[in-house]
Amino acid sequence: MSKTVLIRLMPETMKADSSSERRVLSQTESLCPVCLKKIPAFRVTDGLDVYLEKHCESHGPFSTVIWRKDPHFETWTRPKIPIQPPVCYTEITKGCPFDCGLCASHRQITCTALIELTKRCNLHCRYCFASSQNLDDPDPDINKIEFMFKRVREAAPSCNIQLSGGEPTLRDDLPQVIGTGRQAGFGFIQLNTNGLRLANEKDYAASLKESGLSSVFLQFDGVSDEVYKALRGQALLDKKRLAIEQCARAGIGVVLVPMIVPGINAHEIGSILELGLKEYPAVRGIHFQPVSYFGRHPESVENHNRITIPEIITALEIQSNGMVAASDFHPPGCENALCSFSGKFLVMPGGGLMPIVSETNSCCNKPVRADIGARQTIFSVAGQWSAPKVQGSAIAGQGTTNSISGMDLDGFLDFVRSRSFSISGMAFQDIWNLDLDRLRDCCIHIVSNDGRLIPFCAYNLTDIQNKPIYRGQ
Amino acid sequence: MKNSYANPEDLRWKCHKCDMFLSVGPATLTYMGNTINAQLPVCPQCGFVLVSEELALGKIAEVEQLLEDK
Repeated sequence: MSKTVLIRLMPETMKADSSSERRVLSQTESLCPVCLKKIPAFRVTDGLDVYLEKHCESHGPFSTVIWRKDPHFETWTRPKIPIQPPVCYTEITKGCPFDCGLCASHRQITCTALIELTKRCNLHCRYCFASSQNLDDPDPDINKIEFMFKRVREAAPSCNIQLSGGEPTLRDDLPQVIGTGRQAGFGFIQLNTNGLRLANEKDYAASLKESGLSSVFLQFDGVSDEVYKALRGQALLDKKRLAIEQCARAGIGVVLVPMIVPGINAHEIGSILELGLKEYPAVRGIHFQPVSYFGRHPESVENHNRITIPEIITALEIQSNGMVAASDFHPPGCENALCSFSGKFLVMPGGGLMPIVSETNSCCNKPVRADIGARQTIFSVAGQWSAPKVQGSAIAGQGTTNSISGMDLDGFLDFVRSRSFSISGMAFQDIWNLDLDRLRDCCIHIVSNDGRLIPFCAYNLTDIQNKPIYRGQ
Repeated sequence: MKNSYANPEDLRWKCHKCDMFLSVGPATLTYMGNTINAQLPVCPQCGFVLVSEELALGKIAEVEQLLEDK
Protein backbone atom coordinates (compact mmCIF):
# COMPACT_ATOMS: atom_id res chain seq x y z
CA MET A 1 0.00 0.00 0.00
CA SER A 2 1.59 3.29 -1.02
CA LYS A 3 2.02 6.29 1.23
CA THR A 4 -0.08 8.38 -1.17
CA VAL A 5 -3.10 6.20 -0.57
CA LEU A 6 -2.74 6.48 3.19
CA ILE A 7 -2.74 10.24 3.03
CA ARG A 8 -5.85 10.15 0.83
CA LEU A 9 -7.55 7.96 3.40
CA MET A 10 -6.66 10.09 6.38
CA PRO A 11 -6.50 13.75 5.33
CA GLU A 12 -6.24 14.94 8.94
CA THR A 13 -2.70 13.59 9.05
CA MET A 14 -1.85 16.67 7.01
CA LYS A 15 -3.00 19.05 9.74
CA ALA A 16 -0.27 21.30 11.12
CA ASP A 17 0.83 20.37 14.65
CA SER A 18 1.56 24.01 15.44
CA SER A 19 -2.07 24.96 16.17
CA SER A 20 -2.26 26.46 19.64
CA GLU A 21 -5.54 24.60 20.30
CA ARG A 22 -4.03 21.18 19.79
CA ARG A 23 -3.41 19.34 23.04
CA VAL A 24 -2.71 15.73 23.94
CA LEU A 25 -5.37 14.64 26.42
CA SER A 26 -4.33 11.09 27.14
CA GLN A 27 -2.50 8.11 25.76
CA THR A 28 -3.62 4.63 24.81
CA GLU A 29 -2.53 1.94 22.37
CA SER A 30 -3.76 0.98 18.93
CA LEU A 31 -2.66 -0.97 15.84
CA CYS A 32 -1.15 0.11 12.57
CA PRO A 33 -3.92 -0.35 9.95
CA VAL A 34 -1.37 -1.72 7.48
CA CYS A 35 0.92 -4.10 9.41
CA LEU A 36 -1.17 -4.52 12.61
CA LYS A 37 1.82 -3.68 14.77
CA LYS A 38 0.82 -2.44 18.23
CA ILE A 39 1.71 1.26 18.50
CA PRO A 40 1.09 4.09 20.98
CA ALA A 41 -1.93 6.28 20.25
CA PHE A 42 -2.92 9.67 21.59
CA ARG A 43 -6.25 11.36 22.13
CA VAL A 44 -5.62 14.86 20.84
CA THR A 45 -7.97 17.84 20.97
CA ASP A 46 -8.22 20.24 18.10
CA GLY A 47 -10.68 22.89 19.24
CA LEU A 48 -13.72 20.97 20.47
CA ASP A 49 -12.95 17.93 18.34
CA VAL A 50 -10.83 14.98 19.43
CA TYR A 51 -8.69 12.74 17.23
CA LEU A 52 -6.99 9.42 17.84
CA GLU A 53 -3.49 9.90 16.48
CA LYS A 54 -0.90 7.19 15.98
CA HIS A 55 2.30 6.74 14.03
CA CYS A 56 3.74 3.53 12.64
CA GLU A 57 7.47 3.61 11.94
CA SER A 58 6.91 1.75 8.70
CA HIS A 59 3.60 3.15 7.50
CA GLY A 60 3.41 6.69 8.79
CA PRO A 61 0.86 8.76 10.72
CA PHE A 62 -2.87 8.17 11.09
CA SER A 63 -5.41 10.56 12.56
CA THR A 64 -9.06 9.65 13.01
CA VAL A 65 -11.80 11.82 14.48
CA ILE A 66 -13.38 10.22 17.57
CA TRP A 67 -15.40 13.12 19.02
CA ARG A 68 -16.90 16.31 17.65
CA LYS A 69 -18.08 19.21 19.79
CA ASP A 70 -20.63 18.88 22.63
CA PRO A 71 -21.26 17.17 24.99
CA HIS A 72 -17.62 17.94 25.71
CA PHE A 73 -15.24 14.99 25.45
CA GLU A 74 -13.64 15.61 28.85
CA THR A 75 -17.01 15.62 30.64
CA TRP A 76 -18.11 12.32 29.09
CA THR A 77 -16.70 10.00 31.74
CA ARG A 78 -17.97 7.14 33.86
CA PRO A 79 -15.04 5.50 35.64
CA LYS A 80 -15.16 1.85 36.57
CA ILE A 81 -13.14 -0.41 38.78
CA PRO A 82 -11.87 -3.10 36.37
CA ILE A 83 -12.92 -6.70 36.92
CA GLN A 84 -11.15 -9.72 35.51
CA PRO A 85 -13.57 -12.14 33.82
CA PRO A 86 -14.25 -15.03 36.23
CA VAL A 87 -13.52 -17.57 33.47
CA CYS A 88 -10.75 -16.85 30.96
CA TYR A 89 -10.56 -19.20 27.99
CA THR A 90 -7.18 -17.88 26.74
CA GLU A 91 -3.72 -17.30 28.19
CA ILE A 92 -1.83 -14.04 27.81
CA THR A 93 0.91 -14.68 25.27
CA LYS A 94 1.04 -12.07 22.51
CA GLY A 95 -0.67 -9.24 24.38
CA CYS A 96 -3.87 -7.29 23.69
CA PRO A 97 -5.63 -7.54 21.21
CA PHE A 98 -4.10 -10.82 20.04
CA ASP A 99 -5.10 -13.11 22.96
CA CYS A 100 -8.86 -12.54 22.98
CA GLY A 101 -10.94 -15.27 24.39
CA LEU A 102 -11.25 -13.55 26.99
CA CYS A 103 -7.84 -13.25 28.67
CA ALA A 104 -6.98 -12.23 32.22
CA SER A 105 -6.06 -8.67 31.21
CA HIS A 106 -9.64 -8.00 30.08
CA ARG A 107 -11.44 -5.56 32.39
CA GLN A 108 -15.14 -6.41 32.13
CA ILE A 109 -17.43 -9.43 32.24
CA THR A 110 -19.78 -10.45 29.42
CA CYS A 111 -23.03 -8.53 29.31
CA THR A 112 -24.15 -9.77 25.88
CA ALA A 113 -22.85 -12.80 24.02
CA LEU A 114 -23.39 -12.90 20.26
CA ILE A 115 -23.73 -16.15 18.40
CA GLU A 116 -23.47 -15.93 14.63
CA LEU A 117 -25.79 -18.54 13.16
CA THR A 118 -24.86 -18.18 9.50
CA LYS A 119 -22.64 -16.27 7.12
CA ARG A 120 -25.42 -16.20 4.52
CA CYS A 121 -27.57 -13.17 3.88
CA ASN A 122 -30.48 -12.26 1.59
CA LEU A 123 -29.26 -8.68 1.20
CA HIS A 124 -25.92 -7.44 -0.07
CA CYS A 125 -25.48 -4.19 1.85
CA ARG A 126 -22.82 -1.65 0.92
CA TYR A 127 -21.82 -1.70 4.58
CA CYS A 128 -21.63 -5.00 6.46
CA PHE A 129 -19.29 -5.72 9.35
CA ALA A 130 -19.67 -9.45 8.73
CA SER A 131 -19.06 -9.12 4.96
CA SER A 132 -22.05 -11.44 4.53
CA GLN A 133 -23.34 -12.53 1.15
CA ASN A 134 -25.53 -15.16 -0.33
CA LEU A 135 -23.00 -17.97 -0.63
CA ASP A 136 -23.45 -21.60 0.25
CA ASP A 137 -21.11 -21.53 3.25
CA PRO A 138 -22.29 -24.20 5.68
CA ASP A 139 -23.99 -22.98 8.85
CA PRO A 140 -22.86 -24.24 12.25
CA ASP A 141 -25.05 -27.23 13.08
CA ILE A 142 -27.25 -27.42 16.17
CA ASN A 143 -24.61 -29.39 18.09
CA LYS A 144 -22.07 -26.65 17.48
CA ILE A 145 -24.58 -24.02 18.61
CA GLU A 146 -25.37 -26.04 21.71
CA PHE A 147 -21.62 -26.10 22.42
CA MET A 148 -21.45 -22.32 22.01
CA PHE A 149 -24.34 -21.78 24.44
CA LYS A 150 -22.59 -24.11 26.90
CA ARG A 151 -19.34 -22.16 26.68
CA VAL A 152 -21.17 -18.89 27.28
CA ARG A 153 -23.08 -20.42 30.17
CA GLU A 154 -19.84 -21.56 31.83
CA ALA A 155 -18.19 -18.16 31.50
CA ALA A 156 -21.14 -15.76 31.87
CA PRO A 157 -24.20 -17.59 33.15
CA SER A 158 -26.50 -14.60 33.47
CA CYS A 159 -25.68 -12.67 30.31
CA ASN A 160 -28.04 -11.72 27.51
CA ILE A 161 -27.84 -13.45 24.13
CA GLN A 162 -28.02 -11.98 20.67
CA LEU A 163 -28.41 -14.29 17.67
CA SER A 164 -26.77 -12.73 14.67
CA GLY A 165 -25.18 -13.52 11.33
CA GLY A 166 -25.32 -13.11 8.31
CA GLU A 167 -29.07 -13.10 8.39
CA PRO A 168 -30.09 -15.62 11.05
CA THR A 169 -33.66 -15.99 9.76
CA LEU A 170 -32.29 -17.82 6.71
CA ARG A 171 -31.95 -20.83 9.00
CA ASP A 172 -35.19 -22.79 9.08
CA ASP A 173 -34.24 -24.24 12.44
CA LEU A 174 -34.10 -20.81 14.12
CA PRO A 175 -36.98 -21.64 16.50
CA GLN A 176 -35.05 -24.73 17.58
CA VAL A 177 -31.90 -22.62 18.12
CA ILE A 178 -33.86 -20.18 20.28
CA GLY A 179 -35.34 -23.09 22.24
CA THR A 180 -31.83 -24.51 22.76
CA GLY A 181 -30.72 -21.17 24.19
CA ARG A 182 -33.67 -21.03 26.55
CA GLN A 183 -33.03 -24.61 27.67
CA ALA A 184 -29.42 -23.64 28.34
CA GLY A 185 -30.81 -21.16 30.86
CA PHE A 186 -30.65 -17.81 29.08
CA GLY A 187 -33.57 -15.56 29.97
CA PHE A 188 -33.19 -12.90 27.28
CA ILE A 189 -32.60 -13.88 23.67
CA GLN A 190 -32.61 -11.24 20.98
CA LEU A 191 -32.58 -11.68 17.21
CA ASN A 192 -30.46 -9.34 15.07
CA THR A 193 -32.24 -9.25 11.71
CA ASN A 194 -33.02 -7.25 8.58
CA GLY A 195 -36.69 -8.15 9.20
CA LEU A 196 -37.47 -9.49 5.72
CA ARG A 197 -38.67 -12.92 6.80
CA LEU A 198 -40.64 -11.41 9.69
CA ALA A 199 -42.41 -9.22 7.14
CA ASN A 200 -42.89 -11.87 4.48
CA GLU A 201 -44.21 -14.80 6.54
CA LYS A 202 -47.39 -14.17 8.45
CA ASP A 203 -46.89 -16.60 11.34
CA TYR A 204 -43.10 -16.46 11.55
CA ALA A 205 -42.88 -13.94 14.41
CA ALA A 206 -45.37 -15.98 16.43
CA SER A 207 -43.27 -19.13 15.97
CA LEU A 208 -40.15 -17.32 17.22
CA LYS A 209 -42.07 -15.95 20.19
CA GLU A 210 -43.33 -19.42 21.01
CA SER A 211 -39.74 -20.69 20.99
CA GLY A 212 -38.76 -18.10 23.57
CA LEU A 213 -37.57 -15.06 21.61
CA SER A 214 -37.66 -11.88 23.70
CA SER A 215 -36.68 -9.12 21.32
CA VAL A 216 -35.85 -8.19 17.74
CA PHE A 217 -32.89 -5.93 16.97
CA LEU A 218 -34.22 -4.62 13.67
CA GLN A 219 -31.94 -3.08 11.05
CA PHE A 220 -33.83 0.19 10.47
CA ASP A 221 -31.79 2.91 8.81
CA GLY A 222 -34.35 5.54 7.98
CA VAL A 223 -37.86 6.58 7.10
CA SER A 224 -37.38 6.91 3.35
CA ASP A 225 -36.64 4.36 0.67
CA GLU A 226 -33.78 6.51 -0.64
CA VAL A 227 -31.85 5.61 2.51
CA TYR A 228 -32.47 1.88 2.09
CA LYS A 229 -31.53 2.00 -1.59
CA ALA A 230 -28.28 3.78 -0.70
CA LEU A 231 -27.28 1.51 2.19
CA ARG A 232 -29.03 -1.80 1.48
CA GLY A 233 -29.47 -1.75 -2.28
CA GLN A 234 -33.28 -1.76 -2.38
CA ALA A 235 -36.43 -0.05 -1.09
CA LEU A 236 -37.26 -1.68 2.24
CA LEU A 237 -39.31 0.74 4.32
CA ASP A 238 -42.63 -1.08 3.82
CA LYS A 239 -40.99 -4.39 4.78
CA LYS A 240 -39.51 -2.84 7.91
CA ARG A 241 -42.88 -1.48 9.01
CA LEU A 242 -44.54 -4.80 8.33
CA ALA A 243 -41.86 -6.56 10.40
CA ILE A 244 -42.64 -4.22 13.32
CA GLU A 245 -46.34 -4.95 12.93
CA GLN A 246 -45.77 -8.71 12.95
CA CYS A 247 -43.60 -8.48 16.07
CA ALA A 248 -46.21 -6.32 17.79
CA ARG A 249 -48.87 -8.92 17.03
CA ALA A 250 -46.65 -11.71 18.36
CA GLY A 251 -45.66 -9.83 21.53
CA ILE A 252 -41.96 -9.45 20.70
CA GLY A 253 -40.24 -6.20 21.68
CA VAL A 254 -38.58 -4.34 18.79
CA VAL A 255 -35.47 -2.16 18.91
CA LEU A 256 -34.88 -0.03 15.81
CA VAL A 257 -31.21 -0.08 14.86
CA PRO A 258 -30.15 2.63 12.43
CA MET A 259 -26.61 2.67 11.12
CA ILE A 260 -25.88 6.35 10.62
CA VAL A 261 -23.73 7.43 7.68
CA PRO A 262 -23.01 11.14 7.08
CA GLY A 263 -24.58 12.36 3.86
CA ILE A 264 -26.96 9.41 3.66
CA ASN A 265 -29.25 9.27 6.69
CA ALA A 266 -27.89 11.56 9.43
CA HIS A 267 -30.69 14.01 8.56
CA GLU A 268 -33.31 11.35 9.41
CA ILE A 269 -32.29 10.83 13.05
CA GLY A 270 -35.25 12.88 14.33
CA SER A 271 -37.69 11.22 11.92
CA ILE A 272 -36.53 7.76 13.05
CA LEU A 273 -37.28 8.78 16.64
CA GLU A 274 -40.68 10.10 15.58
CA LEU A 275 -41.51 6.84 13.80
CA GLY A 276 -40.28 4.78 16.74
CA LEU A 277 -42.59 6.68 19.06
CA LYS A 278 -45.51 6.21 16.67
CA GLU A 279 -44.88 2.46 16.77
CA TYR A 280 -44.51 2.38 20.55
CA PRO A 281 -45.14 0.21 22.59
CA ALA A 282 -44.16 -2.41 19.96
CA VAL A 283 -40.95 -0.43 19.48
CA ARG A 284 -39.17 -0.43 22.83
CA GLY A 285 -36.27 1.78 21.87
CA ILE A 286 -33.86 2.98 19.23
CA HIS A 287 -30.19 2.04 19.17
CA PHE A 288 -28.05 4.15 16.83
CA GLN A 289 -24.82 2.82 15.36
CA PRO A 290 -22.48 5.40 13.82
CA VAL A 291 -20.89 3.86 10.73
CA SER A 292 -17.66 1.91 11.26
CA TYR A 293 -15.16 0.90 8.65
CA PHE A 294 -14.68 -2.83 9.06
CA GLY A 295 -15.83 -5.73 6.93
CA ARG A 296 -17.46 -4.59 3.69
CA HIS A 297 -17.70 -0.85 3.18
CA PRO A 298 -17.17 1.72 0.42
CA GLU A 299 -13.50 2.52 -0.18
CA SER A 300 -13.36 6.07 1.11
CA VAL A 301 -12.52 6.00 4.84
CA GLU A 302 -12.19 9.71 5.45
CA ASN A 303 -12.98 11.66 8.58
CA HIS A 304 -15.83 13.53 6.92
CA ASN A 305 -17.49 10.15 6.43
CA ARG A 306 -17.61 9.57 10.17
CA ILE A 307 -20.22 10.67 12.70
CA THR A 308 -19.43 10.62 16.42
CA ILE A 309 -21.50 10.04 19.57
CA PRO A 310 -21.92 13.75 20.47
CA GLU A 311 -23.09 14.50 16.94
CA ILE A 312 -25.83 11.87 17.20
CA ILE A 313 -26.88 13.25 20.59
CA THR A 314 -26.94 16.82 19.25
CA ALA A 315 -28.89 15.72 16.18
CA LEU A 316 -31.44 14.04 18.44
CA GLU A 317 -32.03 17.32 20.28
CA ILE A 318 -32.15 19.49 17.17
CA GLN A 319 -34.10 17.16 14.90
CA SER A 320 -36.67 16.33 17.60
CA ASN A 321 -37.23 20.07 18.12
CA GLY A 322 -36.14 19.71 21.72
CA MET A 323 -38.40 16.79 22.64
CA VAL A 324 -35.21 15.20 23.96
CA ALA A 325 -32.27 17.22 25.23
CA ALA A 326 -28.57 16.40 24.93
CA SER A 327 -28.46 16.48 28.73
CA ASP A 328 -30.90 13.54 28.87
CA PHE A 329 -28.12 11.21 27.73
CA HIS A 330 -25.31 9.71 29.76
CA PRO A 331 -22.26 7.49 29.34
CA PRO A 332 -22.73 3.77 30.00
CA GLY A 333 -22.26 1.98 33.31
CA CYS A 334 -21.07 -1.21 31.61
CA GLU A 335 -18.73 -0.61 28.65
CA ASN A 336 -16.14 2.15 28.27
CA ALA A 337 -17.68 5.64 28.41
CA LEU A 338 -16.42 6.43 24.90
CA CYS A 339 -18.29 3.46 23.42
CA SER A 340 -21.88 4.50 23.88
CA PHE A 341 -24.62 6.79 25.12
CA SER A 342 -27.99 6.04 26.63
CA GLY A 343 -31.14 7.71 27.82
CA LYS A 344 -34.33 6.26 29.25
CA PHE A 345 -37.65 8.03 28.92
CA LEU A 346 -41.32 7.71 29.68
CA VAL A 347 -43.76 8.23 26.84
CA MET A 348 -46.20 10.59 28.53
CA PRO A 349 -49.95 10.41 27.90
CA GLY A 350 -50.02 14.18 27.39
CA GLY A 351 -47.42 13.87 24.64
CA GLY A 352 -43.67 14.04 24.65
CA LEU A 353 -40.96 12.16 26.47
CA MET A 354 -39.90 12.54 30.07
CA PRO A 355 -36.30 11.54 30.94
CA ILE A 356 -36.25 9.28 33.97
CA VAL A 357 -32.63 8.85 34.89
CA SER A 358 -30.73 12.00 34.06
CA GLU A 359 -30.61 12.94 37.74
CA THR A 360 -28.59 9.93 38.91
CA ASN A 361 -26.35 9.91 35.91
CA SER A 362 -25.16 13.43 36.49
CA CYS A 363 -23.20 12.13 39.46
CA CYS A 364 -21.39 9.25 37.76
CA ASN A 365 -17.82 10.14 38.45
CA LYS A 366 -17.43 7.93 41.46
CA PRO A 367 -15.86 4.70 40.22
CA VAL A 368 -18.18 1.70 40.39
CA ARG A 369 -17.13 -1.92 40.01
CA ALA A 370 -17.37 -2.85 36.34
CA ASP A 371 -19.35 -6.03 36.99
CA ILE A 372 -21.98 -4.11 38.98
CA GLY A 373 -22.55 -1.89 35.94
CA ALA A 374 -22.65 -4.97 33.71
CA ARG A 375 -25.25 -6.71 35.85
CA GLN A 376 -27.40 -3.57 35.92
CA THR A 377 -27.15 -3.36 32.13
CA ILE A 378 -28.05 -7.02 31.67
CA PHE A 379 -31.21 -6.52 33.70
CA SER A 380 -32.06 -3.11 32.28
CA VAL A 381 -31.64 -4.16 28.64
CA ALA A 382 -33.61 -7.37 29.08
CA GLY A 383 -36.51 -5.49 30.67
CA GLN A 384 -36.48 -2.54 28.32
CA TRP A 385 -36.03 -4.34 25.02
CA SER A 386 -38.62 -7.08 25.64
CA ALA A 387 -42.33 -6.50 25.05
CA PRO A 388 -43.86 -4.65 28.00
CA LYS A 389 -45.80 -6.72 30.50
CA VAL A 390 -48.79 -4.43 29.97
CA GLN A 391 -49.73 -3.85 26.33
CA GLY A 392 -52.13 -2.14 23.96
CA SER A 393 -55.26 -0.75 25.52
CA ALA A 394 -53.98 -1.75 28.95
CA ILE A 395 -51.26 0.92 28.84
CA ALA A 396 -51.41 2.75 32.12
CA GLY A 397 -52.10 6.43 32.59
CA GLN A 398 -54.34 7.45 29.70
CA GLY A 399 -55.39 11.07 29.35
CA THR A 400 -53.19 14.07 29.71
CA THR A 401 -51.06 13.17 32.73
CA ASN A 402 -47.60 14.63 32.48
CA SER A 403 -46.27 13.74 35.91
CA ILE A 404 -45.47 10.43 37.52
CA SER A 405 -45.24 11.72 41.06
CA GLY A 406 -47.99 11.00 43.54
CA MET A 407 -49.29 7.79 41.96
CA ASP A 408 -50.01 4.75 44.05
CA LEU A 409 -47.44 1.96 43.96
CA ASP A 410 -49.30 -0.40 41.61
CA GLY A 411 -50.30 2.44 39.30
CA PHE A 412 -46.72 3.68 39.22
CA LEU A 413 -45.40 0.22 38.37
CA ASP A 414 -47.90 -0.27 35.54
CA PHE A 415 -47.14 3.19 34.22
CA VAL A 416 -43.37 2.75 34.08
CA ARG A 417 -43.55 -0.87 32.87
CA SER A 418 -45.72 0.06 29.93
CA ARG A 419 -44.38 3.49 29.02
CA SER A 420 -40.59 3.31 29.15
CA PHE A 421 -38.65 3.96 25.95
CA SER A 422 -34.88 3.89 25.45
CA ILE A 423 -32.71 5.89 23.10
CA SER A 424 -29.13 4.72 22.93
CA GLY A 425 -26.23 4.26 20.59
CA MET A 426 -22.92 2.48 20.32
CA ALA A 427 -19.82 3.54 18.42
CA PHE A 428 -17.88 0.52 17.25
CA GLN A 429 -14.16 0.62 16.66
CA ASP A 430 -12.40 -0.13 13.40
CA ILE A 431 -8.71 -0.42 12.59
CA TRP A 432 -8.43 3.39 12.27
CA ASN A 433 -9.91 4.43 15.61
CA LEU A 434 -9.11 1.28 17.62
CA ASP A 435 -8.35 2.21 21.24
CA LEU A 436 -7.15 -0.75 23.30
CA ASP A 437 -8.37 0.88 26.54
CA ARG A 438 -11.87 0.72 25.12
CA LEU A 439 -11.38 -2.80 23.84
CA ARG A 440 -10.30 -4.10 27.27
CA ASP A 441 -13.50 -2.63 28.74
CA CYS A 442 -15.74 -4.33 26.18
CA CYS A 443 -18.80 -6.25 27.44
CA ILE A 444 -20.23 -7.45 24.11
CA HIS A 445 -18.52 -10.63 23.07
CA ILE A 446 -18.85 -12.82 20.00
CA VAL A 447 -18.56 -16.58 20.46
CA SER A 448 -15.94 -17.95 18.08
CA ASN A 449 -16.27 -21.36 16.44
CA ASP A 450 -13.89 -22.81 19.00
CA GLY A 451 -15.93 -21.40 21.88
CA ARG A 452 -13.91 -18.37 22.90
CA LEU A 453 -15.51 -15.03 23.82
CA ILE A 454 -14.02 -12.29 21.67
CA PRO A 455 -14.81 -8.58 22.11
CA PHE A 456 -17.12 -7.45 19.30
CA CYS A 457 -14.75 -4.89 17.82
CA ALA A 458 -11.76 -7.25 17.95
CA TYR A 459 -13.77 -9.99 16.24
CA ASN A 460 -14.86 -7.67 13.45
CA LEU A 461 -11.56 -5.83 13.09
CA THR A 462 -10.15 -5.88 9.57
CA ASP A 463 -6.88 -4.38 8.36
CA ILE A 464 -6.50 -1.92 5.48
CA GLN A 465 -6.86 -4.79 3.02
CA ASN A 466 -10.00 -6.05 4.79
CA LYS A 467 -8.24 -9.05 6.28
CA PRO A 468 -9.73 -10.05 9.66
CA ILE A 469 -7.76 -10.85 12.79
CA TYR A 470 -10.37 -13.11 14.37
CA ARG A 471 -13.45 -13.53 12.15
CA GLY A 472 -13.67 -17.09 10.88
CA GLN A 473 -11.75 -18.64 13.77
CA MET B 1 -57.95 -1.52 51.31
CA LYS B 2 -56.82 -0.12 47.95
CA ASN B 3 -53.10 0.45 47.64
CA SER B 4 -52.47 -1.35 50.93
CA TYR B 5 -49.35 -3.42 51.33
CA ALA B 6 -49.87 -4.46 54.93
CA ASN B 7 -50.31 -8.15 55.73
CA PRO B 8 -52.31 -9.09 58.86
CA GLU B 9 -49.15 -10.52 60.45
CA ASP B 10 -47.36 -7.16 59.96
CA LEU B 11 -49.81 -5.61 62.39
CA ARG B 12 -48.61 -7.90 65.19
CA TRP B 13 -45.35 -5.91 65.23
CA LYS B 14 -44.86 -3.27 67.92
CA CYS B 15 -42.84 -0.06 67.49
CA HIS B 16 -39.83 -0.58 69.79
CA LYS B 17 -39.56 3.11 70.61
CA CYS B 18 -43.25 3.87 71.27
CA ASP B 19 -44.38 0.39 72.40
CA MET B 20 -47.45 0.64 70.19
CA PHE B 21 -48.90 -1.85 67.68
CA LEU B 22 -48.51 -0.81 64.06
CA SER B 23 -51.61 0.16 62.09
CA VAL B 24 -52.22 0.71 58.37
CA GLY B 25 -51.58 4.29 57.33
CA PRO B 26 -50.45 6.43 54.42
CA ALA B 27 -46.74 6.44 53.57
CA THR B 28 -44.86 8.34 50.90
CA LEU B 29 -41.96 6.64 49.16
CA THR B 30 -39.44 8.80 47.33
CA TYR B 31 -36.99 7.55 44.72
CA MET B 32 -35.02 9.66 42.29
CA GLY B 33 -37.27 12.64 42.69
CA ASN B 34 -40.49 10.66 42.25
CA THR B 35 -42.99 10.23 45.06
CA ILE B 36 -45.17 7.15 45.30
CA ASN B 37 -48.07 6.69 47.70
CA ALA B 38 -48.81 3.47 49.55
CA GLN B 39 -50.71 2.25 52.61
CA LEU B 40 -48.17 0.55 54.87
CA PRO B 41 -47.89 -0.62 58.49
CA VAL B 42 -46.88 2.47 60.47
CA CYS B 43 -46.46 3.37 64.12
CA PRO B 44 -49.49 5.56 64.91
CA GLN B 45 -47.36 7.66 67.29
CA CYS B 46 -43.96 8.28 65.60
CA GLY B 47 -44.86 7.34 62.02
CA PHE B 48 -42.05 4.79 61.65
CA VAL B 49 -42.86 2.56 58.66
CA LEU B 50 -42.42 -1.20 58.36
CA VAL B 51 -41.53 -2.43 54.86
CA SER B 52 -41.91 -6.18 54.72
CA GLU B 53 -39.24 -8.30 53.07
CA GLU B 54 -41.80 -9.38 50.47
CA LEU B 55 -42.52 -5.78 49.48
CA ALA B 56 -38.89 -4.65 49.59
CA LEU B 57 -37.69 -7.48 47.37
CA GLY B 58 -40.81 -7.40 45.21
CA LYS B 59 -42.53 -4.25 44.05
CA ILE B 60 -40.11 -1.74 45.58
CA ALA B 61 -37.12 -3.50 44.02
CA GLU B 62 -38.99 -3.48 40.71
CA VAL B 63 -39.50 0.29 40.94
CA GLU B 64 -35.77 0.71 41.44
CA GLN B 65 -34.94 -1.56 38.53
CA LEU B 66 -37.43 0.10 36.19
CA LEU B 67 -36.07 3.55 36.91
CA GLU B 68 -32.43 2.61 36.53
CA ASP B 69 -30.77 2.67 33.13
CA LYS B 70 -27.72 0.95 31.79
